[in-house]
Amino acid sequence: MQTFRMPDVGEGLTEAEIVRWFVEPGEQVDVNQIVCEIETAKALVELPCPFEGTVAQLHATTGEIVPVGGDLISVETADEPPAREPVLVGYGTSNEKPVRRRRRPTTPQGTQSPEAGPPGAETKPVRHGGYEVARSTEERLTTEQPRPRTKPPVRKLAKELGIDLAAVDPTGPGAVITRADVERAAAQRQSAPTGSEQIIPVRGVMRSMAKAMVDSAFSAPHVTEWLDVEVGESLRLLDRLRERHPDHKWSPTVLAAHALVTAAVKHPRVNATFDAEAEVILVHPAVHLGLAVATERGLLVPRVANVNTMSLVQLAGAIGTTTEAARAGTLPPADLTGSTISLTNVGVFGVDGGTPILPPGQVAILCLGRVVERPWVVNGQIAVRPVVTLTLSFDHRCVDGQLGSQVLSEVAQFLHDPAVGMAG
Amino acid sequence: MSELLQLLTPEGQRLHHPDYDVDISGEELRGLYRDMVLVRRLDTEAHALQRQGELGLWPPLLGQEAAQIGAGRALRPDDYAFPTYREHGVAWTRGVDPVSLLALFRGVTNGGYDPADHGFALPTIVIGDQTLHAVGYAMGVQRDAGLDSPPGSGVISFFGDGASSQGDVNEAFVWAAVNNAPVVFFCQNNQWAISQPLSRQTRIPLYRRAEGFGFPGLRVDGNDVLAVLAITRAALDRARRGDGPSLIEAYTYRMGAHTTSDDPTRYRVETELEQWRLKDPIERVRAYLLRTGAGDRAFMDEVDQQADDMAARLRQACRDLPDPAPDAMFAHVYAEPQDLVQQEQRWWREYLGADHG
Amino acid sequence: MGEPVTLAAALNQALHDAMDDDPKVLVMGEDVGRLGGVFRVTEGLHAKHTDARVIDTPLSESGIVGAAIGLAMRGYRPVCEIQFDGFVFPAFDQITTQLAKMHARSDGATRLPVTIRIPYGGGIGAVEHHSESPEAYFAHTAGLRIVTCSHARDGYQMLRQAITCDDPVIFLEPKRRYWDKAELGDVGEGLFQSRVVRAGGDVTVVCYGPMVRTCLEVAGLAHEEDGLSLEVIDLRSLSPLDLGPVFDSVARTGRAIVVHEAPVFGGLGAEIASRISEKCFFSLEAPVLRVGAPHAPYPPSKLEHHYLPDVDRILDAVDTVRGM
Repeated sequence: MQTFRMPDVGEGLTEAEIVRWFVEPGEQVDVNQIVCEIETAKALVELPCPFEGTVAQLHATTGEIVPVGGDLISVETADEPPAREPVLVGYGTSNEKPVRRRRRPTTPQGTQSPEAGPPGAETKPVRHGGYEVARSTEERLTTEQPRPRTKPPVRKLAKELGIDLAAVDPTGPGAVITRADVERAAAQRQSAPTGSEQIIPVRGVMRSMAKAMVDSAFSAPHVTEWLDVEVGESLRLLDRLRERHPDHKWSPTVLAAHALVTAAVKHPRVNATFDAEAEVILVHPAVHLGLAVATERGLLVPRVANVNTMSLVQLAGAIGTTTEAARAGTLPPADLTGSTISLTNVGVFGVDGGTPILPPGQVAILCLGRVVERPWVVNGQIAVRPVVTLTLSFDHRCVDGQLGSQVLSEVAQFLHDPAVGMAG
Repeated sequence: MSELLQLLTPEGQRLHHPDYDVDISGEELRGLYRDMVLVRRLDTEAHALQRQGELGLWPPLLGQEAAQIGAGRALRPDDYAFPTYREHGVAWTRGVDPVSLLALFRGVTNGGYDPADHGFALPTIVIGDQTLHAVGYAMGVQRDAGLDSPPGSGVISFFGDGASSQGDVNEAFVWAAVNNAPVVFFCQNNQWAISQPLSRQTRIPLYRRAEGFGFPGLRVDGNDVLAVLAITRAALDRARRGDGPSLIEAYTYRMGAHTTSDDPTRYRVETELEQWRLKDPIERVRAYLLRTGAGDRAFMDEVDQQADDMAARLRQACRDLPDPAPDAMFAHVYAEPQDLVQQEQRWWREYLGADHG
Repeated sequence: MGEPVTLAAALNQALHDAMDDDPKVLVMGEDVGRLGGVFRVTEGLHAKHTDARVIDTPLSESGIVGAAIGLAMRGYRPVCEIQFDGFVFPAFDQITTQLAKMHARSDGATRLPVTIRIPYGGGIGAVEHHSESPEAYFAHTAGLRIVTCSHARDGYQMLRQAITCDDPVIFLEPKRRYWDKAELGDVGEGLFQSRVVRAGGDVTVVCYGPMVRTCLEVAGLAHEEDGLSLEVIDLRSLSPLDLGPVFDSVARTGRAIVVHEAPVFGGLGAEIASRISEKCFFSLEAPVLRVGAPHAPYPPSKLEHHYLPDVDRILDAVDTVRGM
């Protein structure tokens, strides 16, 4: 069975009216036999049958308007319908619907204007009158740095805000500077250099220090307490130790370290790590002292391990070795971490005290000031004695005020009367 | 009517003319008959195919078979012809496969064959432009032979009565005359330019226009294949030997519509058609063949069978014509590579290659 | 205002009314008289007004325009028909060197109120030269006014206005829309004004002639499928261009595309895109994209649906500007 559909007989017609049928169902028809007459906007036209066979059905009645592509007449034929339907020039009548192409997603890869694509790699050189024309007409003629890429409204905004687009990092696709990029640059520009500052890149030690400080300062609630103490006995002890062990370096730092370690052993809670995520306090079995050392590269806090097992002389030796190695830069990186409690000496800078920041993972740090002669009350009378300020910062999540005060007081007492302090 | 060369009357009577005649054998005559019958059949088949939606348009040559076969058979292989869009008969004589013409009107191509293969240019749809092309070609023929030698081959340009009003056609006459070009201007005056009768194009018989331009003009009974053959041979000989251009007006009739989009009932009367039916070009040759015994019923039946076979082949071939690939439109815009076209083609391929939803 | 009529019928009605109103109006062209025109747009005029006012011309386009110039100089108001877009070129010389320039040449003394009607555009399955869009060639020539209707209501009023205009008008009729129907009625806009035919806020779609209907289909689909609201503007006049409404629109949407059947390269879309860039620079979120035909001759009709913009290609451009 084959069906003859309404053709476009006049270059762009859309429909036609059936004026007259010349055949009826059951009749034999030959190829090209006129089966009907139609009227279009332009003319009366007779339509010849494309196939031969027996008329099966007429699909429209006289007077009916049939659109181009609509069914007209079906004929029982000996042949199968052709694989391809007659394509009615103008409007098409194939069985398949016209394929709607899925539109590309809204990412800026393709564009309608082909000019946006790369220049023709396929262009072969052409010779005209002896002059070779090899270059694609759309190739860039220059290789200089292109302008910053952005949209007109954003360009205008940047101009109004006084932002140099060349200095803005683009975050838009295709390295395009977005409005947000410009707004961010403007916000940052509050503290932007005016041009006369020295710019020091933050790298290495400085960078680590900065990070550590920030991490610690903004996660642990720091409480700082201080105490002034008279240390004449400590100074006299140091003199005698210098005579007795001249190969070691004997300074108030060493005694203060010993005092701190003694107190840490007695009060293990200050030799701990507060793990906020796991919500546990890890009390360390050994005391590893972190010693703040000023080096050319910046502040280092090398570890002097297991100080709780050392005698005072051993401690002096370890402190000396570590300090030297830190300054020389020969300490392995592993030795720059892992301390459990720290000591820092600001006295060498001529300062009395401060608010030390805990190294990350620690809950207590002792800060030693300068030893200086001060008026002191002795037996109700004003005397001149060597006095030092001791400052202790502690993490109040782990160490409360009472404990912190106790530790500070014990360290001070040790330094005031070292013999008694070392007795236990 | 004065000056209408005729060698075969509508009734099939043979006439003779002192200056233009043919010495034609039975075989040649049967050949002309066969040509005309087959060409008429291809024309009517194509017309039906249009009505069945297989072609977008068809301009019928019904009634003009003798004019076209007669002129076409006067051409030699090394001559060159420039047609309009209706010269399906001349195309036939130049060896162009009729399917190529169907392809053009089906809309799968704007061409369909290589003109150089057939000595037959592509159909020109803009009215009259081809006459200037013909003159230029003829000027090339002259230069190939050397301006002081006979051209050796001829060029023929076809156009209609309507075209004779176009500027280009008149400019072609000027150029052909002043260059003494070896071109035959063959005007098929089929009396109508769509709805415009001849009187809208001219006040004098068209063949007399030539005199104003300075070359000979002759009128022939366009429905008489022998007369057309004789006169076209003579005109081409003239051109080939270097005697310059001439105008032939083949006086005929457009029995069908201008094209399948036209409705001639709006401007023509049936009586006119009836009169011209009596002058049918094929009928008179049939009568002459039968009378002289140069062709019998068996021969005519055989020709009809050949026509049926050809028609069936054309129908099938038309439906089998493949659609052109989408990016065919980029293929031959320029002879040398051109950036913009290449870019657009790439974009196209990418766009068409995108997922079909 | 009554039954919907086809665009062809509306134009026919306009010619009837124009000829009834003004005895100086003439109609001239090939097959316009007895036949009533190959698209029947001049049907019935010859029966009413005879050879005196409805002239079946020789087959000669240059003659049609040249003679119209002479008739206009004599005080007539000729309405010429060029049968198909692809056949206007023999008349190109008369149109560009004479018709366009005479008013200026005569320092304003000579007016040539000639209307040249040309069916244009493709999509009708025709052979060569019957589907062209030559508007850019003419818009590029000062002295001519170029307008194009998209449907019956505009067709009627714009043709009447074009005939009464004292400047030469090229009146482009989208032949693929000849059989579309619409009701006639009053049209608010003047002959040289554009119109927002569908309001929207996401993308501005500028179009004219046969593409207006296509772009309205696109807007419908975009709304249905993606919830997009496209603003579609029918330019109506190609020379002069009335882009005020377009600029207002782009100021709101920030994104614009131009759609025409004519090839993109050197087409009117370039002029429009350039002007939008100039006037709306700081509103644009994306470049103005143009949708049109490739730089290739109009192909055999089997390929014309690839050549001419279709809903998908236009939607593709909409998506592209939105993605930027």
